[in-house]
Amino acid sequence: MKSLTGSITKVLLLSVILGVLGFAAFTAFIAESWIIGTVLMVVLVATLVVYATGKLVPAKFLFPGLVFLVIFSLAPILYTQYMSLFNYKSGNLISREEAIDQLERVGFRQDPQSTTYRFELGELNGEVAAVLQNDQDGSAQLAFLNTDTSIDLGVVAEPVAVAEARGFVPATSDELARVGEGLLDYQFQLGEGWVAIPQSFRSAARLTQQYFYDPVTDTILDRINDQVFVDNGNGNFALESNPDRILFPGWRQLNGFENYSALVTKPEISGPFFNVFVWTITFSFLTIITMFAAGLALAVALDKKIRFRNLYRSLLILPYAMPSLMSILIWAGMFNREFGAVNRLFGTELFWLGDPFLAKLVILIVNLWLGFPYFYLISTGALQALPSELEEAAAIDGASPTQIFFQIKFPMLFQILSPLIIAAFAFNFNNFNLIYLLTGGGPTEVLAGERAGATDILITYTYKTAFLGTEQNLGLASAISVIMFIIVGALSVWSLRRTKVLEAVQ
Amino acid sequence: MAGTGSIKKSQRASHLWRHAYAWILIAFTFFPIYVVFISAFDPAGGLASSSLLPSRFSLENFALLMENSPKLPFWTWMWNSVWVASVTSMLSVIIGTAAAFAFSRLRFRGRKVGLQLLLLIQVFPAFLALAAIYVIMENVATVFPGFGLGSLGGLLIVYLAGAMGTNAWLLKGFIDTIPMELDEAAKIDGASPTQLFFQIFLPLTTPVLAVTGLLSFIGTFNEFILASLFIQDVEQRTIAVGLQQFISGQFGANWGAFAAGSILASVPLVVLFLSLQRYIIGGLVSGSVKG
Repeated sequence: MKSLTGSITKVLLLSVILGVLGFAAFTAFIAESWIIGTVLMVVLVATLVVYATGKLVPAKFLFPGLVFLVIFSLAPILYTQYMSLFNYKSGNLISREEAIDQLERVGFRQDPQSTTYRFELGELNGEVAAVLQNDQDGSAQLAFLNTDTSIDLGVVAEPVAVAEARGFVPATSDELARVGEGLLDYQFQLGEGWVAIPQSFRSAARLTQQYFYDPVTDTILDRINDQVFVDNGNGNFALESNPDRILFPGWRQLNGFENYSALVTKPEISGPFFNVFVWTITFSFLTIITMFAAGLALAVALDKKIRFRNLYRSLLILPYAMPSLMSILIWAGMFNREFGAVNRLFGTELFWLGDPFLAKLVILIVNLWLGFPYFYLISTGALQALPSELEEAAAIDGASPTQIFFQIKFPMLFQILSPLIIAAFAFNFNNFNLIYLLTGGGPTEVLAGERAGATDILITYTYKTAFLGTEQNLGLASAISVIMFIIVGALSVWSLRRTKVLEAVQ
Repeated sequence: MAGTGSIKKSQRASHLWRHAYAWILIAFTFFPIYVVFISAFDPAGGLASSSLLPSRFSLENFALLMENSPKLPFWTWMWNSVWVASVTSMLSVIIGTAAAFAFSRLRFRGRKVGLQLLLLIQVFPAFLALAAIYVIMENVATVFPGFGLGSLGGLLIVYLAGAMGTNAWLLKGFIDTIPMELDEAAKIDGASPTQLFFQIFLPLTTPVLAVTGLLSFIGTFNEFILASLFIQDVEQRTIAVGLQQFISGQFGANWGAFAAGSILASVPLVVLFLSLQRYIIGGLVSGSVKG
């Protein structure tokens, strides 16, 4: 019962996808992005194998998801681990070759006397040449682009005429126009590393490349100050006599586990990291406890068929239905000191978001608002699933309702809900939106040089480390990410084992 | 008679704390909602800054949003968010359903391990690998500017990373409940797995797909960290980043316009959520009881 339209659709769709992938891979190779091109080619071939052969039926269904999962989830996870092994931060973002190239190119300096020349472009024996007359002492020479030695013309009044006598042909205005701004890239060799670079059609300046890379000794020579810089092993060239004098840009340098050990040993990094770590754990626990307590209490309160129960229920799940991002931003405005609704309601003038303790309180309150409906909903479900015989039996034995609840119902409830509670813990452990949008991780004592704020959790601290501030440290941020992976992963494996979900997979 | 009356009375008294607690939470719940509504209709531009009681009524804030001015391109942001979230949720539901179908109905080597791995991977939110994703997409942008850093297309691709992890597990549970007899009957009629999937399973799972799609839509709509990292251009922002920047950017932020904007952005989602709440809550509760 192979339908014809089905086959045609399949062939058409497959051709389009393969065509797009092929074109994209081609574009990537043209742009010399070998990795991207190769990845696209692999996807292309795999698509062909999976969908054109008709053998791998399960793969047909799994393939689209797998492609995205592998490229944008697994690969970044592995790449994070790789990045965490590098000195990879502002000033050390590029490769070593790029860094040397930039040092050599960026480092052109004018000579100490600021020598300038009157300049005339032309050619001599078919080679591009220029007549350069020193503006200070009037001495003139003929210099070339590729020949290292220049021809001395002496101190003369009309150097161009002297040069013409030697066969020099000045460029016509048409030729000059054709060269255009490209002229500013010309470097006429003056010998010993010095060059004359045109500043306009009629003037040039004497410059030298400040930094020369010597591939034999693998050092950088500073010609202006006559110093030698050596590779300091940490992604920069540094002065041998004074290792603190380093050249920028540097490059990303493999530095083993230094990012990890810095989290423990370097006080300026380990201090904030420790505080953030402790608060992340504290916050996750406190917020789960408060949300669970409030939600469970509500579930118990509405467990009996009381009046307005349905009304209460539909009103109280509203925070869960609202887009949490908007709610968080609104709460942030309401806790503002000057114009916030909270201070107005209570007639206070508390600086909620400016005080470390109050800011932490605000975070717990707002997350309580966001999260109690969820815990109410799952607690209600679990309460209804408890066998009622238990309660009856306990009541006959003379247990009070409070005793029944705390000694019988609650432990069972907790058992049932533990996978969801652990999931909620993992979620809040990484609750970026809540922290970042509410307090921005603050208050932060920027003046005291603090990088982490009082309410920063690991994920917001990672974000700040990688992307904000004067020094953006991608290597360190990756190391923190890896630690978070381990914590979240271990937590999940442990909880899945505990609840036997993994074994029950059918 | 008197006895039952007093029991009722004592019961009513014992119910008092239930009502009291519910009302306290309702007050807590509605405080910000109330503030947003009065601010949205207050022309002063603060967040209930002058008074907690509504004093004036105007549609000025909404009119400001209607302008879609370069400073506050509200509708451009909304459109960006809506299309990114729609495409993301649609594609991720398709990807998730296909994977769920394979895991539920087809037998192949590595199925069990694959499912366990999927369960593990879904606990890692995409943004944990933040720095790596940034560097990868920065490179992609040099070749394909429309699908790398700085583009909504790139953002969308990254959102799809977790499509299989987050949805497949949920959807598999549902597909498992569809009786096997159905596939067998279809197989006897000579249907291929592809036909089985498109002609039988997709129509049957539509309500669940709607719920999964909505949850995915809300998730994308709420996403901030990647969106703020990816998009620099004001016109390209999603509503989440746009509104956040709008109120945090300048001194004396216009909270009135923000409140009006958040109402416009939230109400459709809240209505959708509430209309599908039976299914959503059903899923939550069965999830909790199953464990």
